[in-house]
Amino acid sequence: MDSKFKINDEVIVDSRSSTGHCRTPAYIRGKKGIIERICGRFPNPEEIALCKKDPKIVTLYRCRFKQMDVWDNYSGKDSDTIELEIYEHWLNDA
Amino acid sequence: MDKNYLKMGPHDVGGEESLPIDTTDNNMTHWEKYANALRIVVSSKRIITLDELRYHTEALGDQYFEIGYFERNCLSLHNICIQKGIYDMELFQKIKSKKISEFDVPIVDLPDVATINHIHDGKPHLHNVSDFQEDESGDGPPDYYFDTLAIAQIFIDQGLITNDDIALKIEQFDNVFPNRGKAVVAKAWHDNLFKEELIKDAKKAISDIGIELETFADIICMPQTDTVHHIVVCTLCSCYPRTLLGMPPSWYKSRSYRSRVVHEPREVLAEFGTIVPESKEIKVHDSNADMRYLILPPRPSNTEDLSEQELSKLVERDYLVGVRLPK
Repeated sequence: MDSKFKINDEVIVDSRSSTGHCRTPAYIRGKKGIIERICGRFPNPEEIALCKKDPKIVTLYRCRFKQMDVWDNYSGKDSDTIELEIYEHWLNDA
Repeated sequence: MDKNYLKMGPHDVGGEESLPIDTTDNNMTHWEKYANALRIVVSSKRIITLDELRYHTEALGDQYFEIGYFERNCLSLHNICIQKGIYDMELFQKIKSKKISEFDVPIVDLPDVATINHIHDGKPHLHNVSDFQEDESGDGPPDYYFDTLAIAQIFIDQGLITNDDIALKIEQFDNVFPNRGKAVVAKAWHDNLFKEELIKDAKKAISDIGIELETFADIICMPQTDTVHHIVVCTLCSCYPRTLLGMPPSWYKSRSYRSRVVHEPREVLAEFGTIVPESKEIKVHDSNADMRYLILPPRPSNTEDLSEQELSKLVERDYLVGVRLPK
């Protein structure tokens, strides 16, 4: 299956809330960044945590965010960045 | 900082204000090593997956930060076993009592030295207090160690794991894993071609020099440069390239480090004595899913004549997480 996003695409992390185990930290939800690289396809940890048989295989991306876009009143430099791994079902087109 | 976001649970600490970081690394006790080894054996054999373990640790609620790291990992493992019916409380308590009883040694009153006066070589022989010493002092193991021993015994009795599996993991974490990352970095300092391969595809490059990492995760290598300073954290738990670097230091697992690195990396780095100039970009890597990170520090100056072996002695763990730089 093709990946939905390609490198340098602009994305927004979904801001929905979640229950159970999830690897999308709250602080990055709703934030806008770009795709840094495509890491490959992995079983969805949200389903593994619940012992679901045959968990869905999802594409994982590394996403890059400007720190200024993540935190209000970020005290560092404009060029500072933060990178996280986000599964495809948590990413939307910017 | 945006204070309106909803945390998933007690573990989701990225962005919190928190205390200064205790940058000392406390050595692990035997029971911590044992608890860690059991968790790794159980998850690497897929008896219980890492994500299940994480989920149940996160579900501890207020207890999460009230108890220690290894204790909460032990408790979540126990809760899963009960929930999945791997054992019931009756069996668990029976085995745990047996384990506790194995630690029961009779308490013997030390002799009163004043009353001892016996003959050696035909002469009266007096003793000093220092002639009688307790073999052990201090507190015994914490209660969760007996929980861990009981859980391990049940798994062993069920044929799921062996004592050797646990012993091997303890040995690897003590003596094998921590040296791998140092060897890899020394080789990268010494061999430019290997350095390029490492940055391109770290897991493959490491495998190509004969180090097979016992991990499902991929490794990404980020080289420190004159313009970018890299630093790694896991805000959700304590993801760390264990089979390459060994156990994460205690500060890496601390609430302070996990909370603060993402939103005030310069301040955190300063607490480690690392002052990053304003002209440099700081890039934080939140190791939050399936990748693990190795930061490649710059080769120290005046080391041109050193062999790879000699260089490996200059590699410090803190460089490989990005909290410190070689001089």
